[in-house]
Amino acid sequence: MKFTYKVSPTMKTRQSTQQIMFLLTLGLMAVVLFSSTFYFVEYGIDYVIHLWSLLAVAVLVAVGSEVVWAYLLKKDVLAYLKTSFPWVTAIILVLMVPISTPLYPIAIGTLFAIVVAKLLFGGFGHNVFNLAGVGRTVMLFSFGASIVPDLITSATPISSIANIGWIITDPALVEPFLAQFGGITGLLLGWYPGGLGETSALLIMIIGAFLAIKNVLDWRIPVFYIGTLFALASIIAVVQGIGVWYPLYHIFAGGAMFAAVFMLTDPVTNPTSASGRIIFAIGAAIITILIRVQGNYPGGVVFSILIMNMLSPMIDRFTDGWQLALSKKYVISMVSVFVVGAILMGVVGLNMKAIVIAEPEPEVPDITLSTPISLDQSATAVKGVVLSSTTEGDFEVVLVEIRGYSVLEGGYDDALPNKIEVKINKTTLKVDSVKVVEIKDTNNIGTKVDNPKFLDQFKDVDETSSVDAVSGATVTSLSVVRAVFAALEHVKGGE
Amino acid sequence: MAHEVISNVKKVERKVTMSFWIGSMQKHIEGFKELTTYNDIVNIAAPKEVYIPLINGVSTAFEVLVKEGDRVFVNTKVAVRNDRFVVPLFSPVSGVVKGIKKMMHSSLKQVDHIVIENDELYESTNSIPRFDLENATKEEVIEFVKDSGIVGMGGAGFPTYFKYLTPATLHYVLINAVECEPYITSDYRMMENYTQDLITGFIALKKMANAQEVHIAIKKSKKTLIKYIQEAIKPYPFASIKEVDDVYPMGWERTLVYAIYKKRYDRIPCEVNVIVNNATTAIALGQAINHQQGPTHKMVTVSGNGIKNPANVFVPVGTPASHIISQLGGYTGDQITCVAGGPMMGKTMTNDAWVITPYTNAITITQTVKIDDMTCLRCGTCNDHCPAGLLPVRINNAEQAKNVDLIAQLHAELCIECGLCTYVCPSKLEVTEGVRKAKRALALKKGV
Repeated sequence: MKFTYKVSPTMKTRQSTQQIMFLLTLGLMAVVLFSSTFYFVEYGIDYVIHLWSLLAVAVLVAVGSEVVWAYLLKKDVLAYLKTSFPWVTAIILVLMVPISTPLYPIAIGTLFAIVVAKLLFGGFGHNVFNLAGVGRTVMLFSFGASIVPDLITSATPISSIANIGWIITDPALVEPFLAQFGGITGLLLGWYPGGLGETSALLIMIIGAFLAIKNVLDWRIPVFYIGTLFALASIIAVVQGIGVWYPLYHIFAGGAMFAAVFMLTDPVTNPTSASGRIIFAIGAAIITILIRVQGNYPGGVVFSILIMNMLSPMIDRFTDGWQLALSKKYVISMVSVFVVGAILMGVVGLNMKAIVIAEPEPEVPDITLSTPISLDQSATAVKGVVLSSTTEGDFEVVLVEIRGYSVLEGGYDDALPNKIEVKINKTTLKVDSVKVVEIKDTNNIGTKVDNPKFLDQFKDVDETSSVDAVSGATVTSLSVVRAVFAALEHVKGGE
Repeated sequence: MAHEVISNVKKVERKVTMSFWIGSMQKHIEGFKELTTYNDIVNIAAPKEVYIPLINGVSTAFEVLVKEGDRVFVNTKVAVRNDRFVVPLFSPVSGVVKGIKKMMHSSLKQVDHIVIENDELYESTNSIPRFDLENATKEEVIEFVKDSGIVGMGGAGFPTYFKYLTPATLHYVLINAVECEPYITSDYRMMENYTQDLITGFIALKKMANAQEVHIAIKKSKKTLIKYIQEAIKPYPFASIKEVDDVYPMGWERTLVYAIYKKRYDRIPCEVNVIVNNATTAIALGQAINHQQGPTHKMVTVSGNGIKNPANVFVPVGTPASHIISQLGGYTGDQITCVAGGPMMGKTMTNDAWVITPYTNAITITQTVKIDDMTCLRCGTCNDHCPAGLLPVRINNAEQAKNVDLIAQLHAELCIECGLCTYVCPSKLEVTEGVRKAKRALALKKGV
């Protein structure tokens, strides 16, 4: 008989870190499946293949680099992997990038996360920063252009609202804006392209609840993070007088919900005390919303995680002591952090202005003017036909049809004349302005006449004047001059 | 499975209502109580020799009242603790004193034991007088309790009379029948079989405390026992049952008093007008009053997957564990872990030659399983569950860094070593042991 000695307690819970990581992987894979379904239904199998290629590359790089590391350190490779869980980082990282991401940035992001942020810090349990967060940041800074959404999977909720300064004050614009993503319900369901696993707030919430019940993650972090985000966005909404859609947008759009459940809850990088984790979550929410509405980057979630990761040891130190005696300190500090955030948000909210995006001015090609054409000589061969003439006070507006290049020289079968509108001062019998209604001449050549540089010459001309033709479009220029002459003749004759 | 989810949801709710910034401070843990709740109690006769350990708490200051060659009887007072507490020890058998022998005690210390050779005649003497509880004064009851050698039978062995010398006003006597340690069912079986002694016991305790009410704390999950005791205490309107959650360590005074009265205290429950006694302590007192019998026999739960026939045994104090184990069919494997007490707070023993004391409530024998530990993932589960409100992982870190100032700031000395931090640790680390080391480092520094 052998009595084995082991310090008490001799009984242990069945739950193990391996089990926790297994359930977490399961939760992440549920998100991957949702995403695969979405891209399959909306964009086809090629997109799903790309998604799984991203996943395969990331997992291979993560596991591969740890295998090499364990081998170099002469450790049992399998045993090392069993207590290191590199795939979790890889899956989280993939779920944060858009479908348009090529394979090599994800490989480099994963490699950096695993080797630099994890292994060099001492391996599992010793990293300071959230690994996937580091990988994502590296990708954002190194491959910014290649991992922005492509043309098909363009505007994400975050980039759309970031473009207009994170606020819409005009109630009429809210609905069409939200309609892009199927309204608030659409944002909740997540049936739109974005970060691969970040879109469906509802699915993430369900998985989060499951993992919290299974003691895989601490419910405090998602609840306080999302709660604070909602409360702070509500302050902006109240200050700006906008609806409840605004705070909902903040919690459903972008990576907030995903980070709340899968990244901020990473036990290695958050504080160890319950009170510390609450302070951590509130702080992350404040930084997230500040970067969103005040920073240059569209999203603030990843940066808020990394910043709070840095503060984790400090928060741990702050909550040290006998918890039962420190309740008051804990509650006061949680409330204070929140109040500071709320005041900041009030000030920021007051100063937020909606950016009105004006329709871009159509580009005006530069033209050069050449040979002058005198009006009276222009009309010797070809004459304009007056289609209509209306009186507008002192002015007569005459619409003239005139054969241009395509009819006269183009030789096309279905050539049509140009239409020019001329506005003439009835008292002085001089042209006030000329407007091109329709140019049927060669595109990009004949159409050059529709340019203020050419048309402005007609101001105050009469039959004796002359204007310069557009170089390269002399025949079309001539047609305009002829139309003006015809209009002048018409007004004069009409008197 | 479904049940597990429901109970977990309930736990989450409780966390919210209790203290969301500290944590649940408790946890439901698997009890394995069905192993010994329903089967027969095994009466084990005393072996050829019994050994009475001369230790109480940490004190070994005993005056031995017998000498080698003396004939003793059942209930003969053989020794008495003679420092600031008075605790008499009684012989469980009749026979001849063979002398004093140093042996390992269930606290792992080498301690003097009085060796008595059992003549198997079980002749008895009346060293405990007949006691008229009805007409006794508070002081007389206290004196009786002192002379009967009643100590905390739940495992602590603290002299019961001493607790009642408090000048505090006491409203409630709280009978602790929670029995939150896994495997142990001896309190349950004692209450079932010695109900009348339990009632006498709590009447005496109420008298000593000058209290108005007696509350009996039983886990909600023990439905049969609750029903049975409810029926038995019907004639005593001052007594009632307080049902508590099936969580660990509900049997700890602080956790229990908070669960029932929603009050926290600084040092002892008397501060909030409550005095707590274990159910078996009350029964031992009842037996002394009703049958003039000292604490010479003990119900002990012998359970775990390391013993062939798990059962509750009724044995004389001073019986070696090996004797009991062989009576129950022996061990089930070659490598076992033998614990004096329950698996959470009991002491792991290095052999089975130690003896049963009046305050031994269990022997837990499990087959040794090697569990691999891994790096702490800083999940803070230990912090959330510490019933004392400490931060075990932080204490461990401070201990590893040999930062005694930080250990002091973290109040490691308040740890009761309930073992919950080690139990919940998903990385399978010996968190409790780390806190023990920290406590020793702190005590060393304070000593200097």
